[in-house]
Amino acid sequence: MSVYTQGVIALMGVNILMALSVYAIVMADQVSLGNAGFMAIGAYTSAYLSVKLGMPIFPALLIGALAASFIGLLIGIPLLRLEGLYFVMGTFGFGEVVRTFFMIFEPTGGAYGFRGPVGATMPMIYGWVLVLIILFWLLSRSRLGRSLDALRDDAEVASSIGLNVTLLKLGVFWLGSFTAGIAGGLYAHYMFYIESGNFHILVSAMAILCVILGGMYTFWGALLGGVIFSILPEVLRFMGGWRLSVYGSVLVLMMIFRPSGIISRHMVRNAGEWVGGIFRKASS
Amino acid sequence: MFLQQLVNGLTLGSTYSLLALGFTLVLGLLKMLNIAHGDVFMFGAFLGLSFAMLGMPLYLALILAMVGAGIVTIIIERLCFRPLRKAHFLMPLLSTIAFGIVLQNVATQIWGSEPSRYPQTTEIAQFQLGPVLVSSIDIIILATSILLMVGIDQFVKRTSFGRAMRATSEKPQTASLLGVNINWVIVFTFFVSGALAGVAGVLTALVYLQITPFIGIRQGLIGMVAMVIGGVGNLRGAMIGGLMIGIIEIMNDAYFTAGYRDIILFGLFLAFIVFKPEGLFGTKEQ
Repeated sequence: MSVYTQGVIALMGVNILMALSVYAIVMADQVSLGNAGFMAIGAYTSAYLSVKLGMPIFPALLIGALAASFIGLLIGIPLLRLEGLYFVMGTFGFGEVVRTFFMIFEPTGGAYGFRGPVGATMPMIYGWVLVLIILFWLLSRSRLGRSLDALRDDAEVASSIGLNVTLLKLGVFWLGSFTAGIAGGLYAHYMFYIESGNFHILVSAMAILCVILGGMYTFWGALLGGVIFSILPEVLRFMGGWRLSVYGSVLVLMMIFRPSGIISRHMVRNAGEWVGGIFRKASS
Repeated sequence: MFLQQLVNGLTLGSTYSLLALGFTLVLGLLKMLNIAHGDVFMFGAFLGLSFAMLGMPLYLALILAMVGAGIVTIIIERLCFRPLRKAHFLMPLLSTIAFGIVLQNVATQIWGSEPSRYPQTTEIAQFQLGPVLVSSIDIIILATSILLMVGIDQFVKRTSFGRAMRATSEKPQTASLLGVNINWVIVFTFFVSGALAGVAGVLTALVYLQITPFIGIRQGLIGMVAMVIGGVGNLRGAMIGGLMIGIIEIMNDAYFTAGYRDIILFGLFLAFIVFKPEGLFGTKEQ
């Protein structure tokens, strides 16, 4: 496998994690446009720990993600009172505050960026992807997952049957910011160099696009979206300078023709029954 | 010194006001955000540059850039808003982010990604007004912005078409039943919104003289900040919000560290969203 292909596949893993981080918050019917901010906190914290303090990569990643999710809790408490467009704008504002903060924060290089974190490999990235997918899968099958489904379908009914809506929302916000923190740490240790521009609002927006166009109602959608949107720009390389125009146009067209995403809830259920049917036939 | 900075702040702020006004017109009407607004601003600046390069006088280049940016925004309405009018509010938001990428790329292909220099078409004269030094560019910017702002404010308040706009923004279905052609109102509003961004683009380029395809990103974000501070959907609020941001930015650069400019503005934005989402002049709706 060439270095180029390896790079694309490794970053695909990071994109999948970012899409999952958006999906976590979507589970509570909120869309965050600030996940690049959590990614940045995870990236800078873990990079600082491993470069300046010589910490091994695993604890550095974990502490980075915990820092991101702690900030996520702090910011989530006021933000989760907001709804719809205001929540989107609030998370967007948060993301920009974090990005501009790291642009001027001298201990992590400020505008010059931060050099030095090493050690993330492709298997390590996909190890994390696997762990989180299993986590999301378990969550979707658990009682907690059903509560989240109820919350998403109708928050008022959910709270009237005794679900603690605020706590559920805060919980998934924690999970989302943790996942984004892991993505950021892995990104930093794979790229060897980070700067505040890596955590631009477009990164958050792309993660949302992955979730929406992959399918909003199942984490498989986030997975598929992460794969498609990592490969699409590479496939379009033959377009030369007009590549991004074609890419943007494809996105606009997808939004027009498939606004409900590629994978729907029904498809997952049907696929499950289909696979189950094969096993039943095989055993009988 | 302070008065001088105040004038500079007002000049810069008036371009932000034009951007915020365009944002708030669309958001007030459809309850949806047009993220490509900043890129329309950039496109307007480049159109103005091209017309000025052809040797046109400033006012003509300004008007043509306005029309061009307005047409671009009509295309945005057609592709990113009209097919998605009944969809989740996020769909048009993301669709316009994608359209913004297209606009940046097209501008890069046409004008290059290196900073383009704006030609000096008009002689710059400096006037000393007491302690304040005002250039003719400042006067052009302030006069154009104030003219447009007052014009739009009065248009929306007093004309029957303005009434149709307000009706559509309040209850589209009722307005439609009462004989308002909603599609026409929406297209017109988008055109005005884009035209304002285009003017702001040319005016800003006159001050900074250099433009790149990526200047729209920050300007769009700042326009959104100004809109929220003034109160979403409130035209006069957007104007005042823009002026405030311009003054804060210039004062920060003059008396504090320039590097802290954006974190202060975005921090202010976040504080408003969390503690006062209706803005300074908005009404409590949501």
